[in-house]
Amino acid sequence: MIFIAPSGSQHTEVAEPSVDIATDEVVDLQVPWVVIVWNDPINLMSYVSFVLQKLFGYPKEKADVLMMDVHEKGRAVVSNGPREKAEIDVFRLHEHGLWATMQQDT
Amino acid sequence: MRRRKREGPVVARGNDTFEITLSAEEQTTLLGFVDQLETILEMGPDDARLRRLFPTAYHDNPEHDAEYQAYMRDELTQSRSASIAVVKEVLTSHELMTSAQLHAFMTVLNNLRLVLGTLLDVGEDDFEDDIDENDPAFGQWQLYGYLGWLLEWTISASSGEDN
Repeated sequence: MIFIAPSGSQHTEVAEPSVDIATDEVVDLQVPWVVIVWNDPINLMSYVSFVLQKLFGYPKEKADVLMMDVHEKGRAVVSNGPREKAEIDVFRLHEHGLWATMQQDT
Repeated sequence: MRRRKREGPVVARGNDTFEITLSAEEQTTLLGFVDQLETILEMGPDDARLRRLFPTAYHDNPEHDAEYQAYMRDELTQSRSASIAVVKEVLTSHELMTSAQLHAFMTVLNNLRLVLGTLLDVGEDDFEDDIDENDPAFGQWQLYGYLGWLLEWTISASSGEDN
């Protein structure tokens, strides 16, 4: 009942990350991609840190720093590499419910 | 004599095993919400309640994002369904969990929070403890808080911090 009931006006749009990057630029295969985790008021801070440790093997101290960057600055770069690797990282973060995007590190 | 430390609902029992202790009412309630999550997932990722479970990957490139969604959405749905199946099995079997099963439990708890938090339109300054009991959504906020509490204990047990 809690979930199935139509949400009506309860849901609002979440603003997309406001990074101004032209979409028609030539993609440079040499430029690495970065994976960004964005702040979300629902995910627990402890959960975000745990996921970063679990997925990337980061020590707790590093994961906590990245988590605090996400919380306080709104975003943090959590990994980088070729597009294929970045896409896998994004997928795994999505799998764990984190709001992750990827872009070329211009 | 040492006083025994009060245990939480999720405890590591050693040798890659974990025990979840929930009341019968909690188990029934949780299983009910897991069933509802499964139902919503079957409706497809375009359902507004699931938007946090299927976010964009390329926010600056709709073409790339469309490709990503075309390949990955089914994978994401299958992954979530697999975790739900694990949770339903372990909650009804009352047996000890492996770390892999506990991880599935953790992700499903987080999925439930993401859906419920979306319905409640949770913001940075919203806390379940601040919700008035006369609020029409008070029950949902209580559940949201409960899921967070259970998730915290699950993270602690997974991290080896519960002992």
